[in-house]
Amino acid sequence: MPLQLRTAEFSSAGPRKDNQDAVRIVTPAPRLAASKGHLMALADGVSQCHDGGLAARATLQALALDYYSTPETWSVVQALEKLLSAHNRWLRANGGGQPLLTTLTALVMRGTRYTLPHIGDCRAYMLRNGKLRKLTVEHVWEQPEMHHVLKRAMGLDEHLLMDYCEGDLRAGDRFVVLSDGVWASLDDLTVHAQLLRDRDPQTTCEALVSAALQRGSQDNASALVVVVDELPEANLADVLEPIDERALPPRLKAGQRFEDWEVVSNLAESRQSIIYRVRDPLQQNWLLKTLPPQARDDADACRDLVLEEWFMRRVAGQHIPELHPLPARQHLYYVMREHAGVTLEQHKREHGLLSVNLALEIAAKLVRGIGLLHRRNLIHRDIKPDNLLLDDEGVLRILDFGLAFCPGLSSPERAGAPGTPSYIAPEVFAGAGPAPQQDLYSAGVTLFYLLTGHYPYGEVEAFQRPRFGRATPPSRYRPDIPPWLDECLLKALEADPAKRYETAEEWLLTLEHGERQSLKREPVPLLEREPLVVWRSVALGALALNIVLLAVMFH
Amino acid sequence: MNKSFWKAGHKPTLFAAFLYFDLSFMVWYVLGPLGVQIATDLGLSAQERGMMVATPILAGAVLRLLLGFMADRLSPKTAGIFGQVVVITALSLAWLLGVDSYHQALLLGLGLGFAGASFAVALPLASQWYPPEHQGTAMGIAGAGNSGTVLAALFAPGLAYLFGWENVFGLALIPLGITLVIFMVCARNAPQRPKPKSAHDYMVALNDRDTWWFMFFYSVTFGGFIGLASALPGYFSDQYGLNPVVAGYYTAACVMAGSFMRPLGGALADRIGGIRALLCMYGVASVCIALVGFHLSSSLAALALFVAAMLGLGAGNGSVFQLVPQRFHREIGVMTGLVGMAGGVGGFVLAAGLGAIKQHTGDYQLGLWLFASLGALAWFGLLNVKRRWRTTWGSSAMTAARV
Repeated sequence: MPLQLRTAEFSSAGPRKDNQDAVRIVTPAPRLAASKGHLMALADGVSQCHDGGLAARATLQALALDYYSTPETWSVVQALEKLLSAHNRWLRANGGGQPLLTTLTALVMRGTRYTLPHIGDCRAYMLRNGKLRKLTVEHVWEQPEMHHVLKRAMGLDEHLLMDYCEGDLRAGDRFVVLSDGVWASLDDLTVHAQLLRDRDPQTTCEALVSAALQRGSQDNASALVVVVDELPEANLADVLEPIDERALPPRLKAGQRFEDWEVVSNLAESRQSIIYRVRDPLQQNWLLKTLPPQARDDADACRDLVLEEWFMRRVAGQHIPELHPLPARQHLYYVMREHAGVTLEQHKREHGLLSVNLALEIAAKLVRGIGLLHRRNLIHRDIKPDNLLLDDEGVLRILDFGLAFCPGLSSPERAGAPGTPSYIAPEVFAGAGPAPQQDLYSAGVTLFYLLTGHYPYGEVEAFQRPRFGRATPPSRYRPDIPPWLDECLLKALEADPAKRYETAEEWLLTLEHGERQSLKREPVPLLEREPLVVWRSVALGALALNIVLLAVMFH
Repeated sequence: MNKSFWKAGHKPTLFAAFLYFDLSFMVWYVLGPLGVQIATDLGLSAQERGMMVATPILAGAVLRLLLGFMADRLSPKTAGIFGQVVVITALSLAWLLGVDSYHQALLLGLGLGFAGASFAVALPLASQWYPPEHQGTAMGIAGAGNSGTVLAALFAPGLAYLFGWENVFGLALIPLGITLVIFMVCARNAPQRPKPKSAHDYMVALNDRDTWWFMFFYSVTFGGFIGLASALPGYFSDQYGLNPVVAGYYTAACVMAGSFMRPLGGALADRIGGIRALLCMYGVASVCIALVGFHLSSSLAALALFVAAMLGLGAGNGSVFQLVPQRFHREIGVMTGLVGMAGGVGGFVLAAGLGAIKQHTGDYQLGLWLFASLGALAWFGLLNVKRRWRTTWGSSAMTAARV
């Protein structure tokens, strides 16, 4: 069951000659509605500028079109921020010397959450359980005679500063967005009374606008009303794919034909998945990934497989395996190209530890690949040598998106620390939610392991709750590692995520600068590094001394 | 343990479950410390004595399934009362009619097996009252009833010396009766109980390789613990000619070491990893047991080695049960049943096997070395599991419940 909304808008020029307000309601295709959500917006063009009406209409046009073109994995705020600041530049450049100015208040409803970007002097209210709440603050000057002068608006400043209000939706919520032509003539009580009367949204809109005009509003008057009728189940995958319609494939044997594929061999099987090597009619090799037949009743596992494919399609590119479009698929599986090459784990087994030069080359590729995922708002959560394929052309591909997590889209985590124990970031054991820094930590452990054959904090076992002290510098195992690389890896391996690289790009920059940058490491005094240990040992020492003295005294 | 734990759940039930479990363990194991005296009076051979002390262990392992089934289908409280009544009846008969032959002793052992089966009742009874995050603590508290073995080892031989071993059964009836009354008054079934396990669930669990390994691991640690605890009084009296009371004290030291290490083993497994902890435990236990096999001249040296081995085995019990609920959290009910049963069977094989080997070779050496080699086998099995577990664990494989 997707999100069910009823929406309406009404706009009137009022006593003025032309209407510089613009209202827009977008109802996207079901798939986009699940991943990007519904969008409703109201813009009030500033009449003193070059062309307020143009500014308002162009802004809503850009918003409506561009928002649905942003990557589906992006969070709502991330997408709005990007496109609105781009549009802000457009407004400043296209006014013929004068800027184009408009206010903007929009509502994006996705899943069970709403996001409300706001700038300028429109107002948004929410009616929940009979109580009316104002969600926005008008960006106008406080002085009495300047109440209509905007402090912030689209097109006013070089740097756009939007307000974002986010929250959970509940069935029965009513939202209303009013331009200043409406709210300035009505008080909150009237708005409340109008919303409380359980009429269809269109009537409410028109009643609000006409009430404002009756009270002598001198401005364009617009209203936008949204009624939330029914909430979706919190699960993205349920909306994405009707999964129960596709059955799991049976266990396949070599030489067997399955749908359009010819099964060549069973390549790998684990508790969670089976990978077959298959051949298409053009005799090209592909890998077919599905669940083992005994996972038939495991709805979570089926859902995870569907999501895995969905994520991979959303981040397609050179750094991950190419997926087959699968136009005629009837079962629950997906197919990716078999890229000739070895995983880094196999590489280590066959060729031993990496040379520093090769490690640097791989590090740059790995960090760049992770950065690409993160820019799409996707956290991989299982970066390790086994999941990194170095193909014969030297391209590094990230495999296995079974644990990938998209903040905002993925359903909140079940208990536990998913991943491969030795590569899981320390804060995850303490219960932290998924974050990009955790991938950087895993990448750090991966490089550490490939260079030294050891783990920075020792090997962590499944179901262990390890303690993280200080990571061993990799140069202790490999004296040929240059000090800057030592420092660079240790920074990625910090137990405190705040001390790690903030983004993959920051790390990449450090890697590229390499030896040219100055070393920052200063010897930190023991007292500063481990204050507890120092004072504790001082206290214990004093205690021991006193005991000895006592013993001597009474002897 | 924090305040929210004491607010959740049902304290009287937890207390009753602990008491029930503690005393059940005491009488389950009571034939062990009395074994030497009974064997002397009935004129039993070493093999028959081993068989006698091992019978309750095996019966307990098998009856777990029966009582577990009853707890599932009827209710844990009903199953608990049934178990206690059977045990009290068996002990009363033994006390009033006397135990005059090997076969009667075996029959008594069978009745005492119901006490050993209290595992399958006390733990779910207590833990079902608690939300998942507190179930581990609840099971830990109820499971501390393991210490009942210490009571038996400490007091049974002395009481038997003073009053005769048949009257020990009568004396044991006093606390058992009180416990039964407390249990009937205080214990209440949890309002929401999980649905009964089916045979299919067991088949699914047995399909997993790790299940078999963990049954084996536990049959070495718990089997070693309870098997040695049962066989040691006989060993000390045969090997070093100690009188039954002193042999009882020696055994009590070993048993105490084992049962108090259990929670520590769980904590250690949490910190350094269950497999790593178990590798250490098996190493220590195997080496110590193998050394004892070399006919040490000093009984104190043997005692020290046995205590060290029991420390390892006891901690190993805790480590196994740190891993099991996390690795098998979906099948946890079935798994505790299977793994616990394997532990009992291991104990039976060890206790009966040591007796049989003593009978046929005239010596304990071969038996001890065989046991040490089983520990070594478990050690290599662990390495194999460790290698296989270096893999991705989905979040669904994890749980907040800890035991």
